[in-house]
Amino acid sequence: MKKSTKITLDLSGLKKGGILKQRQKDYFILRTRIPGGYLKAEKLPKFMQLAKRYGRGYIHLSTRQCIEIPWIHIRNLEKVKQELKKAGILTGACGPRSRNIVACPGSSVCRFGLSDTEKLALKLDKKFFGIDVPKKFKIGLTGCLNSCAKPQENDLGFLTQAQPQVNLDLCTGCTLCAKVCKEICSRGRREPAIIMGENKRPVYKKELCFFEGDCIRVCPVDAWSIKQLGYSVFLGGKVGRFPMFGYRIAEFVGEEEVFKITRKAIEVYNKIANKGERLGEAIERLGIEEVKRQVL
Amino acid sequence: MSQIKPDQILDLKGVPCPLNFVKTKLKLEEMQTGEILEVILDDGDPIKNVSGSIKEEGHQILEAEQIGSHWKLIVKKNQES
Repeated sequence: MKKSTKITLDLSGLKKGGILKQRQKDYFILRTRIPGGYLKAEKLPKFMQLAKRYGRGYIHLSTRQCIEIPWIHIRNLEKVKQELKKAGILTGACGPRSRNIVACPGSSVCRFGLSDTEKLALKLDKKFFGIDVPKKFKIGLTGCLNSCAKPQENDLGFLTQAQPQVNLDLCTGCTLCAKVCKEICSRGRREPAIIMGENKRPVYKKELCFFEGDCIRVCPVDAWSIKQLGYSVFLGGKVGRFPMFGYRIAEFVGEEEVFKITRKAIEVYNKIANKGERLGEAIERLGIEEVKRQVL
Repeated sequence: MSQIKPDQILDLKGVPCPLNFVKTKLKLEEMQTGEILEVILDDGDPIKNVSGSIKEEGHQILEAEQIGSHWKLIVKKNQES
């Protein structure tokens, strides 16, 4: 009888390289990673080539902005990994590790973006991708309160906010700022932070503001501008079977603090959570005040 | 109340985004630097979006005034960037 060469692979180890076992025997999905969803177009032909030669001619765009190539046969896994490495394409992660960082394009091209989340995602990825954790760790960066990158659904989310200020010498009294503020605040059943005062000039109340910045965007004569820019930090968000929004634990943090908080959040997660437990679940167990104290 | 007399007037009542911006941009391209264009826009998205877009093109908005359910923008054409 012919002895067949069995390919023995450590499946749990494979997950680190972004290789997921498919439903079909001997086939695997190769997950690459694209921090912040930013990919140089010159790399696209490589994905096509690999999908055609080793996959089934199609790719899947994951919900964390990565390209996945399904239908890779087990005997081709090493080959494909080598080709990806040669092409400078990063591999993704699954299993108990920190995952691809999702981000909106931010101020690089988006009209609403208040910060360069795209660039920040790349920087954070270099330091914090693929770290072992109890279950998984997801980071999301978003450039404005449209929250396209869903910071509140990630274990750690950073949301850019802008505190406005007005130069009354430039103001022409068009009332657009107060109008826009009232419209938006009424959707959240909040009191507007800007009301028209005497001489058709706006009056700003910081304590009522939630720093979303449409007053600055809408002002036709640039009387409104940004006084302070920073990130709101959300901790413990998740979806899955028992979704929960992240808790807001800090406001207006600068970029340096973003790195510090990310490092601490992963450290604390590793310290307090049981194996298989999400950060949000550990927070429910210990209480947010305690976890916040440890992270900040 | 604006005392500035416009060189041209563009009535964009009922014109949706981004067509209103495109028409404004094209109109400004026909004009000389320094000339004044008056644009009438609908309330809502048009006034919010078009003023921002005009500024991004490099022009200056001198005034914005609400008149009933519309808005009047006074735009000064700046040098093409």
